[in-house]
Amino acid sequence: MDDFAHRKQHPNYLLIWVYLFVLTIVEVAVAFLSHIPKNLLLLALVFLAVWKAALVGMYFMHLKFESNRLRILAVAPIPLAFILVLAVITEFRW
Amino acid sequence: MATTAATVGQVGHAGHVDDRSFLRKYIFSTDHKMIGIQFLIMSLIFLGLGGTLAMMMRWQLGFPGQAMPGGTILPETMAPGGILLPEFYISLVTMHGTFMVFFAIMPLLVGVFGNFLIPLKIGAPDMAFPRLNMMSFWVAVPAGLIMLAGFWAEGGHAGAGWTSYAPLSEAPEYSGVSLGQQLWCVSLIVLGLSSMLGAVNYITTVINMRAPGMTWFRLPLSIWALFITAILVLLAIPILAGGVIMLLFDQTIGTHFFKPATGGQALLWQHLFWFFGHPEVYILILPAMGFVSDIIANGSRKPIFGYESMVFAIMGIGFLGWIVWGHHMFQSGMNPTLGQTFMISTLLIAVPSAIKTFNWMGTMWRGSLHFHVPMLHAVAFVAMFVIGGLSGVFMASTPVDIYIHDTYFIVAHIHYVLFGGSLFALFAAITYWYPKMFGRMMNAFWGKVHFWLTFVFYNLTFFPMHQLGLQGHMRRIYDPTQYQFLQPLQPLNQFISIAAFLLFAAQAIFALNFIVSWFTGAKAETNPWRDNALEWTVPSPPPHGNFAVTPTVYRGPYEYSSPEATEDYLPQDQRLPTDRVPAPKPAGD
Amino acid sequence: MAHVAVMEPPAAAEQGAGVYNEKLGMWIFLGSEVMFFTALIGSYIILRFGAQGPWAAPGVVLNVPVTAFNTFLLICSSVSMVKAYAAVVDGDQAKFKMWLLLTIIAGASFVGVQGYEYTHLIQDGFLPSGIREGSELAEKVAAGAVPEATAGIYGSSFYIMTGFHGFHVTCGVVSMIWVYLKALRGGYSSSDYRGVEVIGLYWHFVDLVWIILFTIVYLV
Repeated sequence: MDDFAHRKQHPNYLLIWVYLFVLTIVEVAVAFLSHIPKNLLLLALVFLAVWKAALVGMYFMHLKFESNRLRILAVAPIPLAFILVLAVITEFRW
Repeated sequence: MATTAATVGQVGHAGHVDDRSFLRKYIFSTDHKMIGIQFLIMSLIFLGLGGTLAMMMRWQLGFPGQAMPGGTILPETMAPGGILLPEFYISLVTMHGTFMVFFAIMPLLVGVFGNFLIPLKIGAPDMAFPRLNMMSFWVAVPAGLIMLAGFWAEGGHAGAGWTSYAPLSEAPEYSGVSLGQQLWCVSLIVLGLSSMLGAVNYITTVINMRAPGMTWFRLPLSIWALFITAILVLLAIPILAGGVIMLLFDQTIGTHFFKPATGGQALLWQHLFWFFGHPEVYILILPAMGFVSDIIANGSRKPIFGYESMVFAIMGIGFLGWIVWGHHMFQSGMNPTLGQTFMISTLLIAVPSAIKTFNWMGTMWRGSLHFHVPMLHAVAFVAMFVIGGLSGVFMASTPVDIYIHDTYFIVAHIHYVLFGGSLFALFAAITYWYPKMFGRMMNAFWGKVHFWLTFVFYNLTFFPMHQLGLQGHMRRIYDPTQYQFLQPLQPLNQFISIAAFLLFAAQAIFALNFIVSWFTGAKAETNPWRDNALEWTVPSPPPHGNFAVTPTVYRGPYEYSSPEATEDYLPQDQRLPTDRVPAPKPAGD
Repeated sequence: MAHVAVMEPPAAAEQGAGVYNEKLGMWIFLGSEVMFFTALIGSYIILRFGAQGPWAAPGVVLNVPVTAFNTFLLICSSVSMVKAYAAVVDGDQAKFKMWLLLTIIAGASFVGVQGYEYTHLIQDGFLPSGIREGSELAEKVAAGAVPEATAGIYGSSFYIMTGFHGFHVTCGVVSMIWVYLKALRGGYSSSDYRGVEVIGLYWHFVDLVWIILFTIVYLV
């Protein structure tokens, strides 16, 4: 049983929901700010998306309260995704 | 919450009465052993089919334009008057590769032995998800039928090679094939689902269902290999699935993923395919290495040399296998700097493979060698794998590959590792675990005859292909004699074809031995090979639920010729006075 | 015979992942799903990066406000799912069933809104094969608002990514209905809520993928 079940209290899911709601609004607003250079815009949007994804993973999927072992298992495939995309993108820059 | 000492030696699941119906026991079985046998039957059929296709190819290459004996039974669209058409030839090439890789070798290694061995060797009553396991087999069957159906498609079966490069594979105006290619795609998507179900099962089972005392570093190397292989399957097959779905959409609903004229990228297919494809070839060799380790230790009556380094070598191969895929694409027009990185990583991956090779030799060194049939095949594996691996080092070097890419040098390499490697290991494994599966021994005399004939004809078939390749003989070609520079090689082509026909004929001995022994083979005892692993402590074949009492493990599986034992083997679950009962493990971290 | 609690890892086992089989199995399955979406999303990134011309600006073809609402809906469904999980852990069957039903409704609505979105896009002329001739969007192409060179792969990648995500959402909704029906029969309690936790993990994952998708498909 995960450690969370031993705790008396669940994390404040409603607070996480508020964070997610606010971050989504910020994202949409940022996307339509036309005066930011493209690359910076992309970085900001990806950063916001990853932040939201991390919140879902940590609190809704309870990764924050699981063992190290399970956390590593959960994120293990992600480097492979980066390897594939980054390697193939170099096809367009040589 | 914490497990108590009472769980040690707990009554297992084999104590119950087996009152399953015929349908539940043999057809829709959730028993991992029966599912393994079901995969065995299906895969051996496809192995035979794949070999038959190869014989037709070798006929055409050895005797181009001549009518094939028995060829008149084929329809006019394939071989009018028994002479193979080029379009049919290229679909034979494609389907030989497809059948062998996806429907023979992979299910034999992973579907058969993954299923049969994992629960038994770790001391579990079955897989973690027996019903998903059953689904895994019954999803593979329609995948196989769909792939077979392609031969009846209008326009013929897929003809773009087992690698199905786009845009050719989505351009009927060039390939002449439409429905056949689509069926190829659909079949692989369905098969991918089957593989995924298996992978989830194997990984969960190995992590979570090991018997008390079966620590990670007491697992047999066959289980380590199957475990790492399952991780590769889990993570690589979805990439293939994605790519093949994109290809299917390009073929059917007009998407543009791989169409350069409308914004797509041809190289995207190659990158996706090989990002899957390279881990795939490690899927095709790692379990074989695992079986060979178990069998060589047994046949040498010695512990495996360097067990821990063997484990790390398996992990190293599994890990490095993700960053070498570009070596299949050196001639594609890819970024040369990217190619350079792939050359380096590919040369690196030879290291863990070499470690394993030296360790097998170290295991045999000064061992009390018993050349039973599995041992013969296992030792042949090591020798053939060295040849296949060495040719790989040539190919890893990009400047060399410029000359030998897409030639028969590559074909030689493929077959040295897949046949000389995986298939010999499979002959070893099937013979070795046959008594446990069917309760009977395969005939040893005919096993040896089969081995020697196969070994000789196999080398006569594939070794000369290195020479063909170096002299420029390209792959997948229908009629080599159309090129003047290849005409002097034609006698060698004929020689190879004849050797291949003899090789194929020799397999009848194995097939007959397999079938006849099932009915009239010598009854097998519990432990005919005097092996240490847990499956050899239960009856041949084991009952539903495997163990009457959950075993407790005190040591690794390679304690042969141990000074602590009276026999020359010491089973994993045999408690010596000096052994402590393993402490109960608390749940969670 | 020793009692084996189903929410524990298998009792006779060496220390494994420290969680029961079904939960471990779902995390492993989700690993494969990461790779599947990598193939689709990674291909989109690669195609866009290497495109022989500019991509259409956000909002020109796709309906960002509607999709932003849909994103909000899916996030809400993730919250209701985890509230359902918390309720069954705490033994509150009534709240558990209520939150689960709300999750199903929100999830089904997401699919509905996506269906609505697809219908309008297709009517406007946005297809997996690109822009339909003579359609409203074809006029935008002619006017230069939608680059022609990348329209084909824009359509291809949009539909395959959102389509397969929608398929995963649909499978999730169907599974949750099955769980709900079992819950109505009293199938889950605070001492065995495996099915709830496992479908919850799947549902959150589907939400997580959408968070990424919404950003890089609609906003970039």
